[in-house]
Amino acid sequence: MDPLILSRIQFGANISFHILFPAITIALGWVLLFFKLRYNATGDSAWMRAYFTWVKVFALSFAMGVVSGVTMSFQFGTNWPGYMETVGNIAGPLLAYEVLTAFFLEAAFLGIMLFGFRRVSNRIHTLATVLVAGGTTVSAFWIIALNSWMQTPAGFEMRDGKAHALDWWAVIFNPSMPYRLMHMLLASGLTVSFLVAGLSALRYLVGDRSESMWKALRTGVFTAAILIPIQIFAGDQHGLNTLEHQPQKIAAMEANWNTGPNVPLVLFALPDEAAKENKFELAIPDGASVVLRHSVSGVVPGLNDYPGNHPPVFPVFWGFRIMVGTGILMLIVSWSAAFFLKRRHSLPKLLALIMVPMTISGWVATLAGWYTTEIGRQPWLVTGVLKTADAVGPVAGSHVALTLAVYLILYVLLLIAYLSVLVHLALKAAKDGDASPLPGAMNAALSQQAAGE
Amino acid sequence: MTFDWPTALPLIFAGLMGLAILIYVILDGFDLGIGILFAAADDAEQDTMIAAIGPFWDANETWLVLAVGLLLVAFPMAHGTILTALYIPVFLLLLGLILRGVAFDFRAKVPAGKKQRWNRIFFLGSATASLAQGYMLGVYVLGLDVGFGGMAFGALVALCLSAAYAAMGSAWLIYKTEGGLQRKAVRWLRTTLVLTALGMVAVSLATPFASPRIFDKWFLWPEILYLSPLPILSALLFLWLWRQTFHLPRPDDRHALRPFLTLAAIFALGFAGLAWSFYPYVVPDRLTIWQAASAPESLAFILVGTVVVLPIIIFYSFYAYRVFGGKATDLTYD
Repeated sequence: MDPLILSRIQFGANISFHILFPAITIALGWVLLFFKLRYNATGDSAWMRAYFTWVKVFALSFAMGVVSGVTMSFQFGTNWPGYMETVGNIAGPLLAYEVLTAFFLEAAFLGIMLFGFRRVSNRIHTLATVLVAGGTTVSAFWIIALNSWMQTPAGFEMRDGKAHALDWWAVIFNPSMPYRLMHMLLASGLTVSFLVAGLSALRYLVGDRSESMWKALRTGVFTAAILIPIQIFAGDQHGLNTLEHQPQKIAAMEANWNTGPNVPLVLFALPDEAAKENKFELAIPDGASVVLRHSVSGVVPGLNDYPGNHPPVFPVFWGFRIMVGTGILMLIVSWSAAFFLKRRHSLPKLLALIMVPMTISGWVATLAGWYTTEIGRQPWLVTGVLKTADAVGPVAGSHVALTLAVYLILYVLLLIAYLSVLVHLALKAAKDGDASPLPGAMNAALSQQAAGE
Repeated sequence: MTFDWPTALPLIFAGLMGLAILIYVILDGFDLGIGILFAAADDAEQDTMIAAIGPFWDANETWLVLAVGLLLVAFPMAHGTILTALYIPVFLLLLGLILRGVAFDFRAKVPAGKKQRWNRIFFLGSATASLAQGYMLGVYVLGLDVGFGGMAFGALVALCLSAAYAAMGSAWLIYKTEGGLQRKAVRWLRTTLVLTALGMVAVSLATPFASPRIFDKWFLWPEILYLSPLPILSALLFLWLWRQTFHLPRPDDRHALRPFLTLAAIFALGFAGLAWSFYPYVVPDRLTIWQAASAPESLAFILVGTVVVLPIIIFYSFYAYRVFGGKATDLTYD
């Protein structure tokens, strides 16, 4: 068995599993801070109940993120030694800064955030929440900086086959970095909005009408409704940036074979790389030219300009469509829910029913988007610097196959366990409703949780 | 002699990496040890044991991320060589850490009927991670390229390191708990201490014989003089700790932290011995820290951040430990 393809699947599986949890913790930290600040300002215990319900989800997601993240830091060495040997001078410091400025901060204050409510003052507890939320965001900053550098490397030179940094500012704030960071932070915000809204809708459906349910529901729905148009704009800007720096990726995303003006926007197709054409194409005339160049005569790059040097078309094309499609669905659902909550102060059953599966819509869009951009980088690991095939390690294919199989089984089982715990926590919160121990007597709520953890 | 940054930087980073590994082994050592001891505890005791490490384990595991991060960052060549050679044990370590880490949270949040399952997973994960670490240490000491005998030696070190972690866990429990569980922890400490001592002797004997270079470093005059304080001090600490275990817990629970600190000192001495033996190699007898190091401009860029941030990290880590100071039962049941 070929260790290259197996290692790629293994890293892909690992990073796909991993990103699910940071996508939640990055924004959930700030949502928790919002709950906390609302409680501090109003003294309304329902905010604190919402906090205690969702801090459990945060703790669980954080643990899942940590353990899958540790796995990745080792896989750089076990499977991709060529990566660090070639670009270690760049990747190393960015990863080191992530550990130093983010990981320790999150991990040290997480304990206080989860169990410290009675042990420190309310102000310190709020500060701990700020530091944990800030830590997750700083962590995103560094890892996105590194990923963006791999997409659009800058600020370095090659000496003896190794990358050497010339200008750290240019390395960190490389051309695609600000766009990708915004896109990812907003993606995390949307993932959490739909997670909170979806599980609150589940509580609503089983008859929970408690204040903490309403507060979480409104927070989720309104945040989603505000973020989704911003995300569509940010995504468009990110696409234009990709067009400038990685035109072959855009060509694959649009399944456009020949460079030229008046390129149609393909809505549906089965791209056929061998024949260099699309089967069963359904397209809007001039659409891609208008979207990408804002003019019907705008020139859109084609795959045939990059023979043997462009990414696989099928997954990039479809990954992009799944992401955009999910985004449109998010827009419709969040705006309708916001309308009903704002104008009618109620939620129709049908809409609540739709919102429950939408709980994981952020995951779907995030994964589809990352597949688009990461597969879209192929065959390069670092664009123009290092090919993926040249970075793989000298490990026997059978070993990789074995570990891959175990990882896959483990991830599926953990994902099932994670989702069933989310549902369990939501149903438990629905059952307790406003009768759960009050934040005034918060000792009970806290010690119960502390006993578990 | 002028100060020469390209020479000094790899040395500084080797020191930092060593420090990160040592802190990891001591801190996550007691977490993993408590996971191993889970098998010998009842349900209520397990809750107390988790409460004794719950607020800390995340930060403790971060030291491993820092250690492997520094290896990856400062010595990219060594990172690849060591981790590809240890592919399967590293995988088992990660598997163990994943299971241990998620079990922490799942056991508290699943419906009551499923808690027992996650307790078992917590034990299995902790044991697997400890065994894998011990095996990796054993194989590393022998120079990574090992045959069947080397694997057997790795298995021996795996058992002994797990016992050493269990000893750390027991010592931490003596500090963090009281009553029946504390007395139980004293008994656990006594049993595991024997295996810990055996492991240290085994590694100490194997290290010089695996490499003639290390043999010379140990047994030639005057090097033997420099090294001799390490085994003598370790042995004295072992004996002192062994005697202490017959008088624990003390009236008013005085010196409850002392067994833990003594063990930490023994770990530090053992670690210093290893560092002394392998210096200047990062991959035994193959790659020195200078051959494996990153470019000086990259190391300098990280060093600036490290010098600023590491003291802050150590400061707030102490703060977090202080917030959750005192007996763990107090965290759980009031």
